[in-house]
Amino acid sequence: MMMLIFAWKNIWRNKKRSFIILAATAIGLAAGIFSVGLMTGMYDSMVDSAINRGLGNIQLHTTAYKRDQLIRQYLPNIDSVVQVIKKYPDVKSYTTHSIIEGMASSATIASGVSIVAIDPELEKSVTAVSKSIVEGTYLEKPNSIIIGKKLADKLKIKLRSRVVLSFAGMDGNIIYAAFRVAGIFKTDASLFDGMNVFILQNDLSTLLGTQAPIHEIILRTHNSLLLEQTKNELQHQLPSSILVESWRDISPDMKLTADITDLTNMIFLGMILFALLFGLTNTLMMSVLDRVRDFGVLLAVGMYRRRLFSMIILESLFLSFTGGIVGVLIGWGLVQYFKTQGIDLSVVSKGLSAYGIPSMLYPYIRSNVYGELTVMMIATSIIAAMYPAIKAVRLKPVDAIRTIA
Amino acid sequence: MKTFFIFCLINLASISSAQTAKEILQKAIDLMYGKKTYSVITMTITKPTWTRSVSMKAWSIEPDYSIVYITEPARDKGSVTLKRKTEVWNWIPTVQKTIKIPPSMMLASWMGSDFTNDDLVRQSSVIKDYDHKLLGEEQCEGYNCYKIELIPKPEAGVVWGKIITWISKKEYMQLKEEFYDEDGVLVRTMVGSKPKMFDGHLLPSYSEMIPHNKPGNKTSFETKELDFDIDITPDFFSIQNMSRVK
Amino acid sequence: MKYYFTFAWRNLWRNKRRTVLAASSIFFAIMLALMMRSLQLGSYDYMVETSVSFYTGYLQIQGKGYWEDRSFDESFEPTDSLLSLIKHHPHITTINPRIESVALISHQLETRIVPITGIDAEMENKMTGLKKRLVKGNYLNDSSQGIMIGEGLAERLLVNVGDTLIVFGQGYQGVTAADQLIIEGIVRFPIPQLNNAMAFVALPKAQTLFNITNRLTSIVLMVDNANNMKSIQEDIAAKLDPNLVVMNWEQMTPELVQAIEADSASGLLMLTILYVVIGFGVFGTVMMMAIERTREFGLLIALGMKRGRLLLVTTIEAIIVSLIGAISGMIGAFPIIFYYSRNPVHVTGDLAKAYLAWGLEPIVPVMLEPKIFVTQTLVVLSIALVTSLYPLFFIRKIKPVSAIQGRGGVR
Repeated sequence: MMMLIFAWKNIWRNKKRSFIILAATAIGLAAGIFSVGLMTGMYDSMVDSAINRGLGNIQLHTTAYKRDQLIRQYLPNIDSVVQVIKKYPDVKSYTTHSIIEGMASSATIASGVSIVAIDPELEKSVTAVSKSIVEGTYLEKPNSIIIGKKLADKLKIKLRSRVVLSFAGMDGNIIYAAFRVAGIFKTDASLFDGMNVFILQNDLSTLLGTQAPIHEIILRTHNSLLLEQTKNELQHQLPSSILVESWRDISPDMKLTADITDLTNMIFLGMILFALLFGLTNTLMMSVLDRVRDFGVLLAVGMYRRRLFSMIILESLFLSFTGGIVGVLIGWGLVQYFKTQGIDLSVVSKGLSAYGIPSMLYPYIRSNVYGELTVMMIATSIIAAMYPAIKAVRLKPVDAIRTIA
Repeated sequence: MKTFFIFCLINLASISSAQTAKEILQKAIDLMYGKKTYSVITMTITKPTWTRSVSMKAWSIEPDYSIVYITEPARDKGSVTLKRKTEVWNWIPTVQKTIKIPPSMMLASWMGSDFTNDDLVRQSSVIKDYDHKLLGEEQCEGYNCYKIELIPKPEAGVVWGKIITWISKKEYMQLKEEFYDEDGVLVRTMVGSKPKMFDGHLLPSYSEMIPHNKPGNKTSFETKELDFDIDITPDFFSIQNMSRVK
Repeated sequence: MKYYFTFAWRNLWRNKRRTVLAASSIFFAIMLALMMRSLQLGSYDYMVETSVSFYTGYLQIQGKGYWEDRSFDESFEPTDSLLSLIKHHPHITTINPRIESVALISHQLETRIVPITGIDAEMENKMTGLKKRLVKGNYLNDSSQGIMIGEGLAERLLVNVGDTLIVFGQGYQGVTAADQLIIEGIVRFPIPQLNNAMAFVALPKAQTLFNITNRLTSIVLMVDNANNMKSIQEDIAAKLDPNLVVMNWEQMTPELVQAIEADSASGLLMLTILYVVIGFGVFGTVMMMAIERTREFGLLIALGMKRGRLLLVTTIEAIIVSLIGAISGMIGAFPIIFYYSRNPVHVTGDLAKAYLAWGLEPIVPVMLEPKIFVTQTLVVLSIALVTSLYPLFFIRKIKPVSAIQGRGGVR
């Protein structure tokens, strides 16, 4: 107890010195928090953007469709499948897609596309297509189509232009149908924009002369931690001809990229902590050197070296704890500010877009990270204080007192 | 192979005066559709760096069925293309196999020409899919022609913004067609010329397709022989028959 | 001036421990900045290297317009002078000729449309490591008459090694390209799009199949060092036939350039954070030094030293300390960076498996590049010099008497 008070008082004896250490700790921790926020923000936005764009959390197809992508490989008994999905508690929302490989032609050129027929209301609850419209409107009127900006440029068409879709119907005969461009969308992934067009399921039903076949159901779930469990249980409840997959199964490349980003970022974070460690050690070392005379006197009047050691460690702990609180506050403030404000990386936005990362970066932190980082910070400051403390206890009292500052 | 024969929309017999644009076209088409033809054609593909000629024999029942048998060049001799409604099949003599062209291959060029497989099968009825307007009369390729404008109906599956066509007044030969996009930019032109008598019908024996977005490219057809009302039925256009025709 | 320098020099040696401490803070700052940047740039380089060796190569010689049209019309016959130019170029390591086309591949009732690549089997392997991806059958050689296809494609066509596939497409000048080819090998790609689509035949076979004798659609080049790429490109472009172009990977895959720039943007953010932390480390040390020397400064001023001169001496001291720290930092970082650039750290666990599945070496690449040493040292030096301006303010405010008495002594 005595030591605690002694150490606490020592800290405030030289306010300037303590302030420097405190500031170094605070800045270090704030920087750490902010970088973790950036990392998480980057990872999350990459994944979220793909999930929002159309990946969803979970997807359902027939195994045959996964292999061949043919129009006749649609999900059987769609109503009962939807019933199972609707009943499952972790499912937040779902949407159904008819997907047909076909061609979109303008007068100048034709291009191979995936024709996705949607139910516009269901779609809104699952994917961000409706929010990605940059020109015109979402699907409202019959025979309207929304296409990606990239495809619109390739076909040299504009809003309200005529686009002819052609695709093989259920019997293999090719169907030609004209659509009017109601809206042009632009997502973070230009490849997606060049490949996909959206029409109404009702229009497709009319063209096919039968209920539009559903090839794909996309689900959003409430809890990402339960994803594997939800996937497995849905698979269990549905016939085995239907394949239930999570986004990780469907997009292994995104997972790899995300994991690599995560790894490099962890290395950088380690380096930042390392830099902080040395900054602190140096500052503490200076502070010890500055107080050589004091320590000399203390040792001369009979203070135990062990006690002196723990006093220095305690001082450093107090400092880092106080600094830690300030640091967490600053870091939290920074993250909160940029969480709403965003950091604009638009200088390289074209690249980010190709990568599927939105050009605005919104740092984000899971609340447990604050605790973890504070613990790491305190550990760092104890390690940092070790060397100076050892130096201090090795002083010879007489030499130390003689030392002129 | 409707595209190849688009110039054949003629009617020698009918000569009338006050007709609507639709009637003019209707007459030509009435006579063309359901016609059973046999023809010998040489197609010449002109690219900026090379030209190539392909000779072929073709049997057709317009608009749904055709078989094209390649006679030259030697490397391609014996290749057969079968069109049944919207499907295209190929017989490959070197491997003795038939392959159906999948929808994803429909954008590929047919025999290296400016036509795609899709052009061969793309179904659009000049009567049903368009609104027609007689713009007036004009000289074209030395003939006095009707100039007719075709505007696609909103729901029709055609890509053009409009088509302008010239049909000779007396002979009902379709001598020229201009295809425009929705902004009124000319995208491709087809011109027929050198009329000859074929099996009692006067028809352009030479025609050219010029894609305006690909400078230096051109595909032309020279009709050497054309017989009408030959003795064939739709059964003739079977996959099995592809390997037998000569 | 020499006088001040000697004075500063003596001051530094008078209290070695303090000098060493101050220099060491810069030493570590430089080490960390250098290591971080070498790691960052190393990983971008690795990304480029692996991406370009997957398909595009660093440079490609193609017919004008080929990259957009992908037509045999833009194929070309490599002239002797072109071949001798690239063969004798000192910085070109691999010359990989290709014929690329798209064709139908059919087996019984299954038909797929796939890209077919005519390859020089040996060169393709040298560049892309294609042989490593072989899971069944044999790898192609120059005289192979058969075909090698992706594993996913084989599954879709329900075929195996030894089965016969029909290839049907269009050759040079629109001729029909058709043949029956025996499957010689099956390769596995980590990317489903490639695994489900790729098909390879030997280059001589491709030339007969597509009736494109002696012609190529592209010559892919690998270079010894990415930094030399642009100058090699200029070299070749200057001597190239006007119908041909030489493209670099940045022109062929702008998405990759932008992806790397994007990654680099976040890397710079992290680097900035590191600078802030480093700056504070150095600043703390410098401030501590100043406080510690209050009494000394006070004494000197009281003894009649002009404040201006004292400022000069302190500045010289700061510069010397910074330089010592910077140079030793560079010397200290060099062997570490050198070692890890030659012997990169290996990733372990699940991530390593993922790397391997993608055909990547599971390493943390480090780049050894003089430019990084120069720029990072300059940045850290300027941080050090800016922070060491603090004592200048400090000295101006010293009150000699109270400073000597040890009562803080700053106004």
